[in-house]
Amino acid sequence: MIPNTLTPGTLLIAIAAFASSLAAILLLYGYVYRTDELRPVTLVAASTSTLSLVVAHTYLTYQFVVGDYTNAYVWQNSADYLALLYRLTGPYANHEGSILLWATLTAVVATWTVYSSRFEGRGANLAQSISLGIVAAFATMLVAQSPFTPIEVAFPDTPAGFVPPDGDGLNPLLVDPWMAIHPPITFSAYALLIVPFALGVTHFVSLFRGEDSVFDEWLGSMRQWLRVSWLLLTAAIVFGGIWAYGVLGWGGFWSWDPVETAVLIPWLALTGSLHAINRYGKTGEYPIFAPASATLVFPIVTFATTVVRSGVFRSVHSFAAGGIGTGILFLLGVTGTTAIALPFTYWFLEAEEGSRDADEPWLSRRTVYHGAVLAFGVLAFVSIWGLSFPVIRNAATGVEVSVGQDHYNLWSYPVVVVGLLAGGMYALLDLRRRKLAIGATAAVAVSTLIAAFIAPSANWYLSDPAAHDPLVYRIVGSVSVLSIVPPAAYFAGSWIWRYVDRIRGVPSRTFKIRETGIVLTHVGAAMLIVAVSFIYLFSTSASVAVVGIDDAGTDPEPIVEESPDGEYEVHVRNYETVEEPTIEEAARSPEEVLAVDEDASLVRGEITAIDSIDGTAIARLEDSSVWLAGADDSLFEEGDEVIARGTVFEGETAATDAQAFVYTDADNMGPVSDPPRDVHTPRVTSHELDVTVYEGGERVAEGTLAEQEYLHSQMNTNDAVIERGIAGDTYVVGSIDERSASITIDTYPLANQIWFGVVLMIVGMTAVTLADSRRDQ
Amino acid sequence: MTPRKLLTIVVLIAVLGFGYYSMNAAPVLSDHDYTYQGGIEWHEDPDEAIAVAEEQDKPVLVYYWTTWCTYCQEYSDNHYQNEEIRGELDEYVLLAINLDEPGPGASLASEHEAAYPPQHVIMTADGEEVSRLGGYVEEDRFLEELRSGADSA
Repeated sequence: MIPNTLTPGTLLIAIAAFASSLAAILLLYGYVYRTDELRPVTLVAASTSTLSLVVAHTYLTYQFVVGDYTNAYVWQNSADYLALLYRLTGPYANHEGSILLWATLTAVVATWTVYSSRFEGRGANLAQSISLGIVAAFATMLVAQSPFTPIEVAFPDTPAGFVPPDGDGLNPLLVDPWMAIHPPITFSAYALLIVPFALGVTHFVSLFRGEDSVFDEWLGSMRQWLRVSWLLLTAAIVFGGIWAYGVLGWGGFWSWDPVETAVLIPWLALTGSLHAINRYGKTGEYPIFAPASATLVFPIVTFATTVVRSGVFRSVHSFAAGGIGTGILFLLGVTGTTAIALPFTYWFLEAEEGSRDADEPWLSRRTVYHGAVLAFGVLAFVSIWGLSFPVIRNAATGVEVSVGQDHYNLWSYPVVVVGLLAGGMYALLDLRRRKLAIGATAAVAVSTLIAAFIAPSANWYLSDPAAHDPLVYRIVGSVSVLSIVPPAAYFAGSWIWRYVDRIRGVPSRTFKIRETGIVLTHVGAAMLIVAVSFIYLFSTSASVAVVGIDDAGTDPEPIVEESPDGEYEVHVRNYETVEEPTIEEAARSPEEVLAVDEDASLVRGEITAIDSIDGTAIARLEDSSVWLAGADDSLFEEGDEVIARGTVFEGETAATDAQAFVYTDADNMGPVSDPPRDVHTPRVTSHELDVTVYEGGERVAEGTLAEQEYLHSQMNTNDAVIERGIAGDTYVVGSIDERSASITIDTYPLANQIWFGVVLMIVGMTAVTLADSRRDQ
Repeated sequence: MTPRKLLTIVVLIAVLGFGYYSMNAAPVLSDHDYTYQGGIEWHEDPDEAIAVAEEQDKPVLVYYWTTWCTYCQEYSDNHYQNEEIRGELDEYVLLAINLDEPGPGASLASEHEAAYPPQHVIMTADGEEVSRLGGYVEEDRFLEELRSGADSA
């Protein structure tokens, strides 16, 4: 390592890498030799590691807040004009910083397991060792690719000692309040998953060694870890969706972008795993699958991160990178192999063959439940495979194939339908209504098939397959979306019935809360599935072009345009541009001019003295050692407060105590009341326009549209106007410049049922988690 | 054999079948020489495209795309299917560069500062940039761009 790359921040991460490795090794030693005598050292090492990472992360945040552009990462992802919120969120705007956040949260969780009295006994040492080993892997990749790399190392062309006067800016898409909470929530969910992973691995190792498993003992707490993680992951996906909905170009909530697909996979795996573990906790079924699935969620999360970050897969988030890309692939390889190989080996070599009870019918509750669990697995695989096979096929044959939305939608659809039928049937079987369950499921299955043929208009078909598309796409694609309604209604209905039946006459409040949580989660899921199926098929879009909007700024009468088919009438008023930062905000004080290193500066201050050197007029600003200079001797007036832009020269004359001259002229200078706006280039120019949209004489949307242009980025962002209603959203967005606007009016039916369904699921899961934690106490 | 084991095995076989089928059913975007955006043949190697352009005395239309870009899908489904646009495209040598795997097109992409898809750059056979169209535009605007590009190049 070149010495000058070893900044204090990198050093902190290196300490964390060393301390967590040490703690992991000591714990492993303690596990193998059955000793606890090294525990004091282990505790110190584990907390040192966590503390170093927390300090490193805080330090990075501090650098962002103060704008320390000697750090290349800060320079790349921040700028002076950004509000405090986006400086606080800057650390996880990119690769290195977000891995640092993940590592820090992981370290907190890992160290908590070391300190917590809940994890004791022989297996605990191994589980803690695995958790800290993962922290060590993260810290090591961050040493290799540090978020604290100095700018002259990251950009070797930079002259020595150069400090950039301003940052390059934050990715415009991330300048959004939702993006401020999305990454911490996602990474908290990811960090929590190392505990089930470590416990699962320990479970199988213990089984191989013929020891008591720790799994049963920790089952309750593991289930709670998974639930909290599920809640956070669900919230993270929803916040991501809300953000995608607001930021134009991503096609609404969901477009099966690799990032979106990647985060859905751990969610499906986690949901499936929770189902298996619940069953295990209740009946002891899934003795291998339940711990195995919990173990597998962390590798799947790593897979998701590989997709998002390593550059192996193609995505808007991908950065083909050195240390971190390789490190995450390594982590994926090790954890994935462990999580798959251990349970499978155990299953092949050790597991006893389970046998069917003589009186168990083929279509039993257990089998139906198993079908639902498998459905989650298949859904996850559809997504994993959609991400993977283009890469595999490309690597094998050099042929590039496209995986469109049809792949995901059309393959997942039948699985979802079957899953809903199985879920509905399970609820009825749980009521001991076997005949009814079979009869009702058969009837719903038949009505699903019939509904598949009922399509009042072309919108109802799931897809629009072409004649050359594969057979399966043509078959599933020509199914009517009405076919989702019977299974979803059946599913929701039978779960509600099961709920009513179960809580009747039961006095326990905890039990009731728990059951309410379960029913809300399932009903929310059914609602979500129906809304998601309909929203895109029935969305509409119309565009209106408006010219001459610059005149609308002063005219009280709106410009009125109709959409081509006459469906909408758009009224446009009050066009204005908002610059950020304004010239007043961007102008530096004399002290700041001295502090930064730039060829030309924009400076602001009151003229406190006037002088001249060799025919050049000079004017002192704010009694400082910064002077303005100009050829025209009538340029400066004592007592004026001015903003001026000009080339900066070091002060050389003995006559004044000037340290710097800003050489300006009449075009580049003006009073603060009327500054020379043309000489300033803002970082962001926002074009704003008030619109009102009428449909058949009725006002359907009203608000301010905006399009932001960014100086250092070719990408613009848009603020849409979203008018929400029970039937759906009216979504108005515009591409606006100085002269004209192209306004698009989209409608998304059932948009709010999506949010409502998700809220039900989150409330339900929270209730279950709380009820169980109450019961445990 | 329990019903659950049987079910698991059936599902596993179905999943394997799905994997094989879906992999082979996916539409080909590009093979070793060409990319097929909107069903049209595009060169992948800038040197090759420029050589053809010099020979035929045509300008080059460079299209920067990715597999996940929804606007690129719009271009493929609508713009490139438009007869008038197709006619205008004949005036060009077509070069498509996948921004995620630019291959030989990497240096051209950085020269054109093509950081996000979709982007269309019109350049002369000598590699001189004539015009640049970032992001998504409506079909008539796209056609206009192609016409004026062909005229001035």
